Amino acid sequence: MKTKVLMLLLLTATALLFLSTPSELAFAQGDPTKPVTADQVNAIAKQLYCPVCENITLDTCGTAACAQWRDEIRIQLEEGKTPQQVIDDFVTRFGDRVVGTPVDPTLRALSLVTPWVLGALAIVAALWYLRQRDRLPEAAPATAELQPTLHTDDEYMARLEHDLAKLR
Amino acid sequence: MIAEVAFLAALLAFGAAVYAVAAAVWGTRTAANKMILSARNAALASFPLLLLSCGLLIAALVGEQFQMSYVWQVTNSQTPIFYRLTGLWGSQAGSLLFWCTLMSGFAVGAVVINWRKHPRMMPYVIAFTMATVAFFLGLVLFFENPFERFWIMPDNSVAQSVFVPSNGIPPAASTLASTANGLNPLLRHFGMIVHPPLLYLGFVGFIIPFAFAMAALASGDLSTAWIKASRRWALVAWICLSLGLLLGGRWAYDVLGWGGYWGWDPVENAAFLPWLIGTAYLHSVMIQEKRGMLKVWNLFLVIMTFSAVVFGTFATRSGLVDSVHSFARSSIGFPLFFFWLGMTLIAVALIFWRWRRGELRDEHRFNNLLGREALFTLNNIIFVLLFIAIFWGSFGAPVISELFFNTNITLGKDYFMSVTPPLFLALFILMGVAPLSAWGVTSLRKLGRGLLIPLALTVVLVALIALISPVTPIAVVGYAAAGLAGVVAIYETYRGVAARHRTQHESWFHAFNALITRNRRRYGGYVIHIAIAMIGIGTIGSTLFQQETQRTLKVGESVELGGYTLTYDRFLGGQIAEDERVMDIAQMTVYQNGNAVAQIRPRRDFYPNTEGMNTMTIAGAYSTIQGDVYVLLVSWEAVGEGSATFKIYLNPLINFIWWGGVLLVIGTLIAAWNDVVPEFVPSRSSVRHAGVTP
Repeated sequence: MKTKVLMLLLLTATALLFLSTPSELAFAQGDPTKPVTADQVNAIAKQLYCPVCENITLDTCGTAACAQWRDEIRIQLEEGKTPQQVIDDFVTRFGDRVVGTPVDPTLRALSLVTPWVLGALAIVAALWYLRQRDRLPEAAPATAELQPTLHTDDEYMARLEHDLAKLR
Repeated sequence: MIAEVAFLAALLAFGAAVYAVAAAVWGTRTAANKMILSARNAALASFPLLLLSCGLLIAALVGEQFQMSYVWQVTNSQTPIFYRLTGLWGSQAGSLLFWCTLMSGFAVGAVVINWRKHPRMMPYVIAFTMATVAFFLGLVLFFENPFERFWIMPDNSVAQSVFVPSNGIPPAASTLASTANGLNPLLRHFGMIVHPPLLYLGFVGFIIPFAFAMAALASGDLSTAWIKASRRWALVAWICLSLGLLLGGRWAYDVLGWGGYWGWDPVENAAFLPWLIGTAYLHSVMIQEKRGMLKVWNLFLVIMTFSAVVFGTFATRSGLVDSVHSFARSSIGFPLFFFWLGMTLIAVALIFWRWRRGELRDEHRFNNLLGREALFTLNNIIFVLLFIAIFWGSFGAPVISELFFNTNITLGKDYFMSVTPPLFLALFILMGVAPLSAWGVTSLRKLGRGLLIPLALTVVLVALIALISPVTPIAVVGYAAAGLAGVVAIYETYRGVAARHRTQHESWFHAFNALITRNRRRYGGYVIHIAIAMIGIGTIGSTLFQQETQRTLKVGESVELGGYTLTYDRFLGGQIAEDERVMDIAQMTVYQNGNAVAQIRPRRDFYPNTEGMNTMTIAGAYSTIQGDVYVLLVSWEAVGEGSATFKIYLNPLINFIWWGGVLLVIGTLIAAWNDVVPEFVPSRSSVRHAGVTP
């Protein structure tokens, strides 16, 4: 009964949390005097990497070249281009290195699929090793001198568990 | 004079290290105890020699010896004394010397502490540690020499060498002083004073577990002796690396001016990779100690940890990847690459050899998928998967793309944020479940019952987090997983204390103290779990719910973001600091619910140097438990009369990360604390204990 009540409480609280108000993820309102806000520019610049410096996104890069590229994003947005069109334009001009994952389908697949393939191979290798190992007999404990320490710990933990069991 | 003596001390240390390797190997092969003693003495001698060399380089930095090219490169007359000291690791050559000194210090420490307790392995430990020290010292002496000096040659060209070249004369001191570079402004931050040494300590510290593992493989002593000898060294290295990573994050947050602390930059990742494998090792090693299992796996993990350290060093220092963190391209890339490859291949070959001989057979098998050893193994698999994913994104894909497709690509935040979150989630869930499972066999029913109260408490915790931070379904899952890991650790500790309190009639404090003292490793580990849970919660909050806006404001104007109002009060331009940097400071007041809660001063610092100005953006921040209001004074947009452009971020729960870091230190100290008594007896008779195995 106690367990069921706990389970019920748990489910109710979890459901309440899931139904709670979503966060304010949107950017703050833009400057009304300008048709394109700095936030709109930064939102795109954040997705682009500086073509000159390595591994710095365009919104944070402090070089004069990056300031010009940010202005270019602003101009393109003012011309009515969508954010995706702006990003595509940068990729066409500077290559796949300006985006966080390559646009080229082969490179994209290579980038995103390979870690999972490597992971799967690692798991297969581990399973193969475990099967190989299970065919062999178990080895005798390696050292006699290690045992007293472990036994002391085990005895202590057994005593602790015993005390805990009495509390339940 | 300083340059010559420092160079000679380093050269002697190199000679001592090479001799130690040769003598240790020869002594072991011929069972010559005197040779082994001699190897030990040579290894011990390397450290004071390197200390002398390092000390002299520091003296040169402090004493403005600008004729030394390294001193000229990283300091100038205006550099405060504090940053002259940190100039030791301000560039490639000095940091390599510092690296060698630390590594030698670790090696000497390991020799002194373990000389008598593990005599069979010590000659091998000396050989492997000193070989590594000798290699890195070779880089210092022959590729990146910090002791070279400028010389004007008869044809007016400038030469660099340690000793006076024929017909060379030193340049005028006033010319050198007026043209000296000064330390990179990005390195003039408290985080940079502590972050690199800690990171280096973390990196080089893993040489000791590596050397003991190699010694076990080479000597054939494949019991748990190598684990017992190296456990605390591994913990010390691990906490240093953890703190190095955290302080690096804090440095990036304070100095790099982009509102974040982790950019998935390849150099950051290069430091994170050994941490992942090292953490997996610290868990799996318990299985070998308790159950005699995973012997091959543990050797593999400890060797891969140090291999990842050397690879990270290669990637950072060779120019394989460029980043704000990496040193400039240099000639040490190829030697480092071949050292890494050779070292890793030899280590893996040794494991394979011992395994083929049947000497690494486990003493038990997995009986149950819910047993603690099975869950720890699963945790290890996830760590390795994370390693693979991050290694691939940082180095694998970019290098392969460039080599085979002739295309430069960047795998950035998009890639890492799509691949790693499920793995981190699984890790946190395992962190919560595994401590409740028992060694050997655990039933699902028992495990489920044990989880009920922690789960209920986790829901309460997530509800509390929801009071101070926004939530979404994904965030709830993340908070719950991280929270469960922390709650289980607290709950398990509470159970232990309560048991002692009831059965032993101890006071709560005494019971708590006695519990932790009796099993420091276990409860220190729980404190570390709580710390990691806090860091996880902080990371989730600040990643998922960061808000930002950029505004140009006139004095007196305000901007609102996430319930805060920020008013631009005034601008203090052209302020001159003691170190002659020029500061442009904006003053803002932060209001919450109409009340002024803080005044912040975001600023831009300009460091004059021979090439113009180096600029740094220093944020102004208002920190609370809910998070940071973090403001940057932006300069890349034109700043008109009385107006300034600001970039404002709200970083929810970000301070959980830094507080978690503090707890991490406490937990590791508890886990590693023990009566470590140096056993080195500096007499010849002690070598008799170092019985050599034929």
